Amino acid sequence: MTIFTCQDNFAARMTCIYDAWASKLGHEHVQLRIEPIEQLEFFVDYVHVEADEDKTEKVVRTVQREISMEAYVWMYYASLSAEEDALDTTYRFLVKAFRYGSKICQMLQDDTVMRMMEIKRLVGNEAHSFREFARFTSYGDMAYIAHIEPKANVILYVAQHFRDRMPSENFVIIDDNRRLAAVHPKNEPCYLKELDEEEISRITQAEEVSSGDPFIAYWKEYFRSIAIKERTNPVCQRNHFPLWMRRHVTEFV
Amino acid sequence: MFEVGTLNDSIMEKVHILADAAKYDVACTSSGVDRAGKEGMLGNARACGICHSFAADGRCISLLKILMTNHCEFDCKYCINRKSNDVERVTLSPEEICTLTVEFYKRNYIEGLFLSSGVIQSPAYTMEKLCETLLLLRTKYHFNGYIHVKTIPGAPDDLLATAGYLADRMSVNLELPTAESLKKMAPGKTFETVLNPMSKIQSTIMNHREAKGKNALMERASGNRYLENSIFYQKAISMETSAATAPKDDTEESLAMIETASPTAGLILPGKDAVLSKADKVHRAFAPAGQSTQMIIGATQETDYNLIMTTQKLYQTYDLKRVFYSAYIPINEDKDLPAKDTAVPLLREHRLYQADWLMRFYGFQARELLSEKMPYFRENIDPKCDWALRHLGNFPVDVEKEDYAGLLRVPGIGPKSALRILQARRYGHLTFESLKKMGVVLKRAHYFITCGGRMMFRIPIEEKYIMNHLTQDEYKDNWKVSHGGEQYHQMSLFQDFGMEAAR
Repeated sequence: MTIFTCQDNFAARMTCIYDAWASKLGHEHVQLRIEPIEQLEFFVDYVHVEADEDKTEKVVRTVQREISMEAYVWMYYASLSAEEDALDTTYRFLVKAFRYGSKICQMLQDDTVMRMMEIKRLVGNEAHSFREFARFTSYGDMAYIAHIEPKANVILYVAQHFRDRMPSENFVIIDDNRRLAAVHPKNEPCYLKELDEEEISRITQAEEVSSGDPFIAYWKEYFRSIAIKERTNPVCQRNHFPLWMRRHVTEFV
Repeated sequence: MFEVGTLNDSIMEKVHILADAAKYDVACTSSGVDRAGKEGMLGNARACGICHSFAADGRCISLLKILMTNHCEFDCKYCINRKSNDVERVTLSPEEICTLTVEFYKRNYIEGLFLSSGVIQSPAYTMEKLCETLLLLRTKYHFNGYIHVKTIPGAPDDLLATAGYLADRMSVNLELPTAESLKKMAPGKTFETVLNPMSKIQSTIMNHREAKGKNALMERASGNRYLENSIFYQKAISMETSAATAPKDDTEESLAMIETASPTAGLILPGKDAVLSKADKVHRAFAPAGQSTQMIIGATQETDYNLIMTTQKLYQTYDLKRVFYSAYIPINEDKDLPAKDTAVPLLREHRLYQADWLMRFYGFQARELLSEKMPYFRENIDPKCDWALRHLGNFPVDVEKEDYAGLLRVPGIGPKSALRILQARRYGHLTFESLKKMGVVLKRAHYFITCGGRMMFRIPIEEKYIMNHLTQDEYKDNWKVSHGGEQYHQMSLFQDFGMEAAR
């Protein structure tokens, strides 16, 4: 058994798929994992794969041409997923996809296809959840800042939504886990930026210095008043709004 | 107008009182219209609707649902804000409402505004104030997000029209399904003052849609195309007995009223002289997300059959997007109302919503679900299982052969899983395992389906047997719905009997 490992980004994942395939070890003799690998196994070779632009492009082009655009979209969503088996499932999915062609996305009775669909759905749902639950705080005239901690790497989808929603505002969405920020200057396109230590501390400082946002208090009051006491139902509330998503949500902190 | 950036106690109090007074309105949806954002404006709209939070009662918060004022000239018995109630009354100014909406919106707390109001001075005055607020929000504040506005029964037509051009969705609350009980409970309103605006709004919406080259009728869930029986494409199934000869009771009279109010309605146009005629220049479609209504359940003696028949009539005659139900919470003491310690009929509300979904997505008609002889839904079993048990002759169906409409009739299979089954079976055989992963709830479905010619278990297809098993499975969930609000904890001598202080 050979395990191909790579870093957690789209290009590295695609290159990893390319290399595993090109190794000609046979599909059943390879596995793909995302680094870091915490527990090493016996009798297994680990091969680290570095991201390669050409190989990435080849994989993308081949999938779009030989299978379908839909399959590519699934693959792209899966590359954002934080599920442990996402990369390996993508590989197994492609093996089958090259055999069955464009109808693969409908073949839900197949376990791999089903799992792939689930992974895609998880990412899509999470992106939607953070469109709903991202909370901005106003820091004077500076900008509106939102912190999120999603499991999958959905910041781009979230930022796209807000770009359309408030095109004429300055805002920043920060993924605290990945140290990634989507920055949107007023009336301009949005861009992604990796934050370094210094930038993060500057943001934290600015947040501490600025005076409280009065609308936080109004919103909390509204949130309390709108609930009907006779119908209190915390289980239903938790089903719709899981606890782990509430970390940066104004009305719960 | 209040200063942005400082905390203002009177605003805080108004938010508290007016949100508290608005909480019994149920329609907090932001769905039905797709609109991209524009530079220089604030906001967009998504047809799927976006919930932003969930309150302690588990209901979604999508819009800033607030009353403009809780002053009211009407004395509707079921309402917390009725004239005869001694509650603190406050009013938010248009500027205050706009600032709250826009600032909340920028922080992603809400998807838009749901503006309703008590009747202050007169319906016309109230409606004018509402329109003024909306106009301010759309023009001065450049708000492009979702707005849902309640129309006040008895307001003049030109104001209704103005509101329609500014808002995305309009709603008129029917409150009660029959003219009789509405008269009894809400002396200020009549069935006509509710139905007239509804039909006028509908015909104006239809005209606007046709002018734009769309179908005059609102968009419905796409699955409905494949359902011959769907209420949106088929007039109601004719009554089995010749009801024409039978003496009409109050319910039927009300149903007839709902049906006939419609064709008389004309178009409504915003007034020319008023300041509000500016609304014309905003260039917006007339209520693009359609209209909705709500009914209170449990305050009067209507049966579930009355309610779902009225619902179906409303969908068919007024092309409403949604009909909402609100379980009556005993807040007022009155001889015509249930006593104050009556339990909130949560499970009944749940069953009605299930039936509403069966009509809108599954191609069921009200008459299939209930009848005069069986006017209430069963508590222990959901309406779809109940229907299936009464029609065991149609089952079991084979998932590899049955068409979409047939699959949707199986308890445990919904529009999504039915579609997945249709897709998947073109390319290979299905198994119970794969059905489960596609989202079929086998717990309920396995009594009614075969897969590859076999049932999942060897069971007799007998009503009693299946009924027993289904109710056992569902018992716990039903109990949770009807007792949702109750919380328990382990009694302790120290906490519960004040021993802590004594110690």
